[in-house]
Amino acid sequence: MNEALHSIAYKDSQGFITGHFTAMAGPCEVIIETTDQALAQKVTQAVADEAWRIERTFSRYRSDNIIYQINNANGAVIEVDEETARLLDFADLCFEVSDGMFDITSGVLGKIWQFNGSSNVPSQKAIAKLLPKIGWNQVSWSNPTLQMPAGMALDFGGIGKEYAVDSAATLARAITDCAVLINFGGDIVATAPPISRQQWLIGIEPLALGQNNIPPKVALKHGGVATSGDSKRFLQYKGKVLSHVLNPKTGWPVNDAPASVTVLANNCTQAGMLSTLAMLQGQGAEEFLESQQVEHWIQRR
Amino acid sequence: MKQKSLLLLAILGFSLLSGCSTMGVDAWEKDLLAKPEMALDEQPLTDALDDHIYFSKEASSGGRAYAGGGCGCN
Amino acid sequence: MKKNLLLKSALATATMTLIAGAAHAEEEQDRTAPASKEQTIGDWKFDAAFLFYSESDSRVSAIEPVFNANKRLDEDEYLNLKLTVDSLTGASPSGAVASDQPLTFTRPSGNASYTVNANEYPLDDTFKDTRAALAANWTFPVSDMTKAGLGANISKEYDYLSASINGNISYDFNNRNSTLFAGLSYAFDSIDPVGGAPIAFGRMQPVGDPQNKLSDTQDKDTLDLLLGITQVIDRESLFQFNYSYSMSDGYHNDPYKVLSVLDDQGNYFDDGIPVANVLFESRPDERTKHGLFGRYKRYVGGDILDVSYRYMTDDWEIDSHTVDFKYRFALDNGDYWQPHVRYYTQTQADFYQPYLRQDQPLPQFASSDYRLAEYDAITVGLEYGMKTAAGNQWRFSLEMYNQTPTEPEKYGALQQQTLLPDWNAVMLRVNYSF
Repeated sequence: MNEALHSIAYKDSQGFITGHFTAMAGPCEVIIETTDQALAQKVTQAVADEAWRIERTFSRYRSDNIIYQINNANGAVIEVDEETARLLDFADLCFEVSDGMFDITSGVLGKIWQFNGSSNVPSQKAIAKLLPKIGWNQVSWSNPTLQMPAGMALDFGGIGKEYAVDSAATLARAITDCAVLINFGGDIVATAPPISRQQWLIGIEPLALGQNNIPPKVALKHGGVATSGDSKRFLQYKGKVLSHVLNPKTGWPVNDAPASVTVLANNCTQAGMLSTLAMLQGQGAEEFLESQQVEHWIQRR
Repeated sequence: MKQKSLLLLAILGFSLLSGCSTMGVDAWEKDLLAKPEMALDEQPLTDALDDHIYFSKEASSGGRAYAGGGCGCN
Repeated sequence: MKKNLLLKSALATATMTLIAGAAHAEEEQDRTAPASKEQTIGDWKFDAAFLFYSESDSRVSAIEPVFNANKRLDEDEYLNLKLTVDSLTGASPSGAVASDQPLTFTRPSGNASYTVNANEYPLDDTFKDTRAALAANWTFPVSDMTKAGLGANISKEYDYLSASINGNISYDFNNRNSTLFAGLSYAFDSIDPVGGAPIAFGRMQPVGDPQNKLSDTQDKDTLDLLLGITQVIDRESLFQFNYSYSMSDGYHNDPYKVLSVLDDQGNYFDDGIPVANVLFESRPDERTKHGLFGRYKRYVGGDILDVSYRYMTDDWEIDSHTVDFKYRFALDNGDYWQPHVRYYTQTQADFYQPYLRQDQPLPQFASSDYRLAEYDAITVGLEYGMKTAAGNQWRFSLEMYNQTPTEPEKYGALQQQTLLPDWNAVMLRVNYSF
């Protein structure tokens, strides 16, 4: 890994110190309410190290981590570490409560779907060929052993970044009581409200041009904010815009999914899961989040 | 006369209902209120013992709970 | 999707476990979880309490142990069972006034008598009784925002039986910041006084003579309504406002309380009967009460403030105000000190009479029960709470209650006596939750 990518840049501003770095394929920042440079550096370094560690551990593009072992086991039994076990337990629960709509074995669809704004939609035949390789119920998971049929693959992309944010926040809390905001490309957690401001103000990126609404601002005291959806990742098909959220049961994008869903919850992982589940509801995203009684913002094209 | 002022007080009290929609906090801000010691019925046994003493020794009862007694002490 | 109630809490718990690892999940929950439930489904939670109560001047003493068991049946469903026993000893004011002569009274049974010395405040020490009561309550969810409860109580002592049922419903709205509550309770009380219920204004008779008492049991029905709203104000505070209504019909008399019949000098009127000239009291057979109650609770940087006010009024012309103040000082180790002050004041019942005069017509209703008189009362107490290593809660409380009645108008010989003496009581309480 290019070590230049592991650099952290600091900026001071009105009682806050921000550290910027790159991780999880995007810009990351740690904002801490303090004027103590040494403390800010200690916290940001810890957060960045954790982000890079998780990135390494769960990246699908490496051949030296547990994911590689699992995805290349060819049906053999793999014993996983405690952290992976926790993630698998969590994924298992999410599979249950979403009635199978959230499925970490659905990553294989990424081989045939490329959301680059073009109209290259895969054929039904190609999709049908992959469907038997999707289904968490086919995986035998019993802490700490995992056995997956050959040809299937796990992908923690759906929860990895949010988990990293929360995990980093735990480390930050252990170092300091100062208010810290961690933002990994839109997945955010605040450990405590800043004393000088009462709350953190987070802006939600408005959609593509043409929308005149003032972007909503989220007032966050402590908790997590996560956004699902990406205005830049979509495909055009028969005059419609297909979102990049795929239904693991059909292999096709979810119908009428919102362009973006932002959720505010206790922590980033919970917020992320709720926003993902909302996206998977398609038309019913608003109703779903209303019933969950969480603060949320939905943007539709 | 007393009925009228009682009615007025009751209306006043319940008209708080209209103001209630503007008060409150979001779910993740209920961390303090969720603490057991912040519950209104945090000490049910103590409340019941107190209610019983005051029901036996005074001419009023209720307010927080039912006004009836359930014993021969008054 | 699974039931929404379960989804959100399932996710909340699951993310806690995921992030911090099982070992720290509980600690994390305490920091950010909306409502961390300590009782898992199927678990029993127990509470035991013991009260020792003792009044000044050889009046009433009581001990009251209570045991409560609560079982969590499901997500929002609970069963609560409570057993209360109370045992009284000591003497209670009979309602008669003191005299500069010794006085003889017949006991309720009609088979014995007791004497009160000259210039002594008359107390009847027949007042010994043990009572046991059992209460059961079931609370359960009706829908996402609605909960209901059903309960039954039964209480039995030597001469008194009370059985009641109650039902209530509560509705959350405004993002669960507001809760509306409505409850209804019906109680049936049956009194079978020792020696029989006295005829209203019946003259107390000597031992051996027919006693002026009825032989059947006396009943009373009570209907209670409670309406309330609980409202979250901000992250640290909430308030509650209740209206209560109570309507009781039937026998309201205290069958053991009497009124002295005096002559124009303030002495007992001598009608030739060799037992003090007292008549058994007579109260209306109907009582309607209204109550307004407000309470405010606030988290103050770790400490807790809890204040409430109650106004009560009824058709017996009794009005009362109660102000209750508690402040919990939280100590670093989780223990606490909680001082408590309560102020109470009431006006007298319209039929309250400290005595009767021979030369005046008998009123329709009259009672000289000191509890219906005009008085102020103050409670001052201190509670100490501590948690054991296992997480169980002990509470120790010591309180003092002091009642200061307004002395009624006196004339003649009565001026040498105190009709309504001040009195106080000590209350010692221990609670243990596990």
